Amino acid sequence: MVLAELQDVHFTYAYADTPALKGVTLTLEQGMLHGIVGLNSSGKTTLCGLLRGIVPSFHHGELTGRTTILGRELADWNPDELATTIGCVFDNPFTQISGIRDTVFEEIAFGLENLGVAREDIITRVIQVIEQLGIEALAEKNPNELSGGQRQKVAFASIIAMDSDVIVIDEPTSQLDPEASEAVFEIIAGLKKLGKSIVLVEHKIDLVAEYADTVTVLHEGRVALTGTTREVLTDPRLRSFGVTPPQVTELAERLAASGRPLSRVPVTRAEAVELIGERMREEVGGGYRTA
Amino acid sequence: MTVTSLQEVADGYRQPRSLGNPILDLNPITTLCVIVALIVTGIALGGWVPSLAVCLLFMVAAVVAGRGRTYLPLILKLWLGVGLILFLLRALLTPGHVLIPLGRIAVTTEGIEQGLAFACVVMAICGGVTLFFEFVPMRHLTLALERLGVSPQASYVLLASFQAITDLGATAKVVLEAQTARGVETEGNVFMRVRAFFPVLAPVFLSAMAATEERAIALDARAFNSSTRHTSLVELRRTRRWEPVLAVALGVIAVGVIVGRALGWF
Ligand SMILES: Nc1ncnc2c1ncn2[C@@H]1O[C@H](COP(=O)(O)OP(=O)(O)OP(=O)(O)O)[C@@H](O)[C@H]1O
Ligand SMILES: [Mg+2]
Repeated sequence: MVLAELQDVHFTYAYADTPALKGVTLTLEQGMLHGIVGLNSSGKTTLCGLLRGIVPSFHHGELTGRTTILGRELADWNPDELATTIGCVFDNPFTQISGIRDTVFEEIAFGLENLGVAREDIITRVIQVIEQLGIEALAEKNPNELSGGQRQKVAFASIIAMDSDVIVIDEPTSQLDPEASEAVFEIIAGLKKLGKSIVLVEHKIDLVAEYADTVTVLHEGRVALTGTTREVLTDPRLRSFGVTPPQVTELAERLAASGRPLSRVPVTRAEAVELIGERMREEVGGGYRTA
Repeated sequence: MTVTSLQEVADGYRQPRSLGNPILDLNPITTLCVIVALIVTGIALGGWVPSLAVCLLFMVAAVVAGRGRTYLPLILKLWLGVGLILFLLRALLTPGHVLIPLGRIAVTTEGIEQGLAFACVVMAICGGVTLFFEFVPMRHLTLALERLGVSPQASYVLLASFQAITDLGATAKVVLEAQTARGVETEGNVFMRVRAFFPVLAPVFLSAMAATEERAIALDARAFNSSTRHTSLVELRRTRRWEPVLAVALGVIAVGVIVGRALGWF
């Protein structure tokens, strides 16, 4: 089954002058990590809201076109069911937690309580998630007194505990320092390994290159580019939509411009290391080729 | 933290919550009824002696329950800040038999009597409210209410309001510090402080409002609006059988005293 299929979707927020989405047509497959990139106000958060059903049920406005989530039209979903089928973590660490629980353990349990899970099952599940994310040290802390990075981890733990197959994540690291960002990305990579479908909005393109299977570039409410991570990140038009390619891709472009292209354009670091290593062995072995 | 201690944390949830002694472990509703009944009885009996007795009873209860160290200093401050002022105002401004003339005003016998009674009544109420919050964690109160059929949404409002007070205080402090750092005068006399505080309110409330919408979405993602019956990780102790009896008995006494006074029995 397809995770989401959008056909010519237009959406204008109530009281807004211009549409936030202007004819989005996009297919997202299940079991993959889909990266969404684009300039500010290009419609990324709106797209996430649509997949999660809060557009248009919570953020009202005018929605046209067809949106199908997991084979069912958006309008046919019961909002509560959609809320638990598609988990989401947004950017602001301070609003991702309930704010009414005394310990992280209880906070992670909150969603399960709301689903009516029995106490012993809640405890087992919460322990499992805490161990999975390695946040044992936070278990007894008050969630309202954590740092941004810690809160974001707890937000992930809380959503993971509910075990939805799809997780929509909007700029999870925009307010975190590099170390905390790295930790959050490890969590996301772990989710991908578990076979979850993930839609991830992220500005840090190097991280997207590293983790995403597909990338979609939004520009002024339209899909500017979409395809495999490699296709999109090596597309010459990428910059014209305000997206800078990964550092290693830029490096390869410069090498190509100086007439010494690598055998392939890398998008991840590992690839670059491999390609550059290959090149160095060639050059050491065969002497310097002239361009 | 080691794995065993995560297990310990988990084990804590496998048993009903205990705060460590029988008074604190009363059902929150029992505590509420007892405190209200005592306050009402004290006030209904009239004069300052019964109200003062209730105040003292609350203090004794706090000490017995092991909360004297936090409750007593707080109550002392309330007596000095509220009780004493109320007493002095009444004592000085009530006309009657002059005891000590002080220029245009005077301490009167009637003033002292009324002041004492008024201060003791107010302090019995303050003392009771403070004692309730000293004894009962908000979370326990909402759990008890939910057990009586109150909706989780209502509990949320109650818990979130209390959290908001804490948060607003914290944000206000941050903004005040920021303004002090920018050279805005925030210290000094009461007037200065109030004037410094008003510009603080706008950013504090705006940030709280903006957060509300995102919170609502986050709660929705946690199935808060699901129509299934919610369960609870934290379990309150079973209410002992005599607790409702105690609450009702004290309630009956309170009502009896009110009726008795109204009919002029004593
Ligand atoms: N709640 C709202 N009400 C009205 N208009 C909105 C609302 N949220 C977003 N918009 C508008 O919709 C457009 C798309 O916004 P959106 O938040 O989807 O962009 P974004 O790509 O997520 O941007 P950013 O990178 O800044 O997060 C913007 O023009 C924005 O002003
Ligand atoms: Mg956004």
